[in-house]
Amino acid sequence: METPVNIEIEDIAKEFGTTAALHPVSLTIPSGTLVALLGPSGSGKTTLLRILGGLEFPSAGRVLFDGSDATGLTVQERRAGFVFQSYALFRHMTVFDNIAYGLRARPSKTRPPAAEIARRVNKLLDLIKLPDIGARYPSQLSGGQRQRVALARALAIEPRMLLLDEPFGALDAKVRKELRQGLRDIHDTTGLTTVFVTHDQDEAMELADLVVVMSMGRIEQVGKPEDIRSRPRTPFVREFITA
Amino acid sequence: MIARPFTLRNPTPMPGWGLSFGIMVTMLSVIVLIPMAVLLWRGFIGFGAAEMWEVVNRPRVWSALELSFRAALVASLFNLVFGVLLAWVLVRYRFPGKRLIDAAVDLPFALPTAVAGIALTAIYAPNGALGAPIGEAFGIRVAYTELGIWIALIFVGLPFVVRTVQPVIEEIDRETEEASATLGASRLRTLTHVVLPMLAPAALTGFALALARSVGEYGSVIFIAGNLPNVTEIAPLLIVIRLEEFDYDGAVAIAIAMLTISFALLLAINLIQIWSRRRMGAV
Amino acid sequence: MTDTITIPSRPRAFRPATTEPTVVKWALIALCLAVLTVLLFAPLIAVFDEALRRGWAFALVSLSEPDAQSAIWLTLTVAAIVVPLNAAFGIAAAWAITKFDWRGKAWVITMIDLPFSVSPVVAGLLFVLMFGANSALGAWLVASGFPIVFAVPGIVLATLFITFPFVARELIPVMLEQGRAEEEAALTLGASGWRTFLTVTLPNIRWALLYGVLLCNARAMGEFGAVAVVSGKIRGQTTTMPLMIEMFYNEYLSVAAFTMAGVLALLAFVTLALKSALEWRYADQLAATHRH
Repeated sequence: METPVNIEIEDIAKEFGTTAALHPVSLTIPSGTLVALLGPSGSGKTTLLRILGGLEFPSAGRVLFDGSDATGLTVQERRAGFVFQSYALFRHMTVFDNIAYGLRARPSKTRPPAAEIARRVNKLLDLIKLPDIGARYPSQLSGGQRQRVALARALAIEPRMLLLDEPFGALDAKVRKELRQGLRDIHDTTGLTTVFVTHDQDEAMELADLVVVMSMGRIEQVGKPEDIRSRPRTPFVREFITA
Repeated sequence: MIARPFTLRNPTPMPGWGLSFGIMVTMLSVIVLIPMAVLLWRGFIGFGAAEMWEVVNRPRVWSALELSFRAALVASLFNLVFGVLLAWVLVRYRFPGKRLIDAAVDLPFALPTAVAGIALTAIYAPNGALGAPIGEAFGIRVAYTELGIWIALIFVGLPFVVRTVQPVIEEIDRETEEASATLGASRLRTLTHVVLPMLAPAALTGFALALARSVGEYGSVIFIAGNLPNVTEIAPLLIVIRLEEFDYDGAVAIAIAMLTISFALLLAINLIQIWSRRRMGAV
Repeated sequence: MTDTITIPSRPRAFRPATTEPTVVKWALIALCLAVLTVLLFAPLIAVFDEALRRGWAFALVSLSEPDAQSAIWLTLTVAAIVVPLNAAFGIAAAWAITKFDWRGKAWVITMIDLPFSVSPVVAGLLFVLMFGANSALGAWLVASGFPIVFAVPGIVLATLFITFPFVARELIPVMLEQGRAEEEAALTLGASGWRTFLTVTLPNIRWALLYGVLLCNARAMGEFGAVAVVSGKIRGQTTTMPLMIEMFYNEYLSVAAFTMAGVLALLAFVTLALKSALEWRYADQLAATHRH
């Protein structure tokens, strides 16, 4: 498997109309880390994630993948596996077709044969521990199951990074705990550079190798969970992080 | 950072902007905007506002305009009342054949106006299945009089109020009605003071749609109307007559008069809706 | 002293607080049915009654008459051109409006709805003004052998105008509600724009699209006023079915008129049946069931 990607964010800014969602921010995400973008709503964390995934164009700044400028890459070219807050499963396709979608969308040169696609989809279904649901439709799944399918779908394209927008948002506490561990396991298994957005600090602290605390379009502090807890550097971090 | 020139939108990675916007604007312009502009240009600049007024300000034209708008108003008011009633019956009551009736309400949408026109005339003509008995019993003629026009327009506008009000009735929280009952209100009072106000905005919208449709209606009406100038001649017919006489300016003038009055009416209704929404608050 | 509950000797019928007395209910139902009979059902029955007055054979023969045949052919041709064009417009407009953020959307939507507020006769007038022989453009077109007014292209244009909003109005609310996330997901998975549209968007809107196409088709085939103005009513050449009905009727060819009307009424029934089927099965994917 290829080395997980190293991400550099250089002075990325984003304006929507006259509102600045992101003031110029810079950040280095080392290869293979599990990073949490933590902050309240309006902090710009989702915007930053979407810019990484290519779903928004930054107003200024660059993004570098393994040292080369990726700002101009299209969404399709980035190979960033993206898990949406609402999961965005294709409601008219079965779970199997959802997961297979990215592989089938490849140009014929790089597209695996049908049998190979089936093999990979089933392998992913095993990975997310839902081996028998391939023929079901998203509407027939529970919230937790949908989240895992969305994850499998993103992993199917052999992404070089994994981006998750509030992956545990709409789920109840017990399911959240299980899925948190699931995400950690997958990260450890795949070794992918993973960035997830959350407003829940317990989640961020428990899961992430690196926590990026954001507020109002700026990065307040970056560091390991213990460091953020014990050495808050700005008033916002002090207030936001309850020990 | 590059200063971006004025753009209609902030670019996003979503594909298809150029194509979709292009098709939309092109077809909108070619089929709707430019033809409308040509009409207005022909009327106001080619002919002139004063000249148009002169054409319109004649008894026959006023009769036609009054008839079209009056008949549309009467029919739409009937549809307002009956439409709310019918919507209520369809949503709240169960009876055999209800699904069929519900589907049938859309018939005026689906049925060609000419078919409706000759069918209604056949029924309400003095020798028709309903026209005859009505004539005998009440001495009233339906077809070839303004009454016939009312009936045709009621037919045409029927679905509008029903279809806009039905979803609102479906979403009424029964607890509001129950609350009213617990406070001692009779069922009738609950309906008139609690339920009806909730339906008012949707009913008004339906009324406006029915009105807009009825004012310009042609096919359903000209068969049953009789088309006597100053008596049962609707405005669209007058436009057709002017065209047949190659009096394009006259046709344009009447058309613009119709559009102006419709616009004013719809504006008034829109304002009433805004007012009623403000009074009601969010439902 | 404790109260004692007296149990009534016969249970009283319980009427919930949110219903009307049964008598009232049935009176209202009867009233509605009576009005609908007089307004809707009687006329429909009259169509078939008049059409079959001289028997099936006579009625069917009237349809095979050359003028009737060319009217049917013309109506079908016009619908076959207008419906796909307006469907394409509806899809394009709905995509532009729902997948992107830009200013002026409300204006554009109002303009798309404009044909609903215009009398069909005025719609016909618009194209007579633009392309009629009395205008410079029109005269040139006639001279070059491509007349629009009093010819089929004019009928197509007028019908396009009249049925313009139908598909767009069905698609826009549905696509607004469905959002952009699925399309964005497809893009992140490597799908191109067209693949995304064909494999993700289209399946999600197919019922709303079908519904809009259905309504558009019904109106396109049934349009009378606009076509009457713009076609010149040239028998056998520019008369659609509705115009032919008028012609037969005015010539006192009652059976021919009502038979053709009957055919269109049958088309209306099919339209309604399909429409209802769509509404019952796919209510959550249609704008019609959400519209206020």
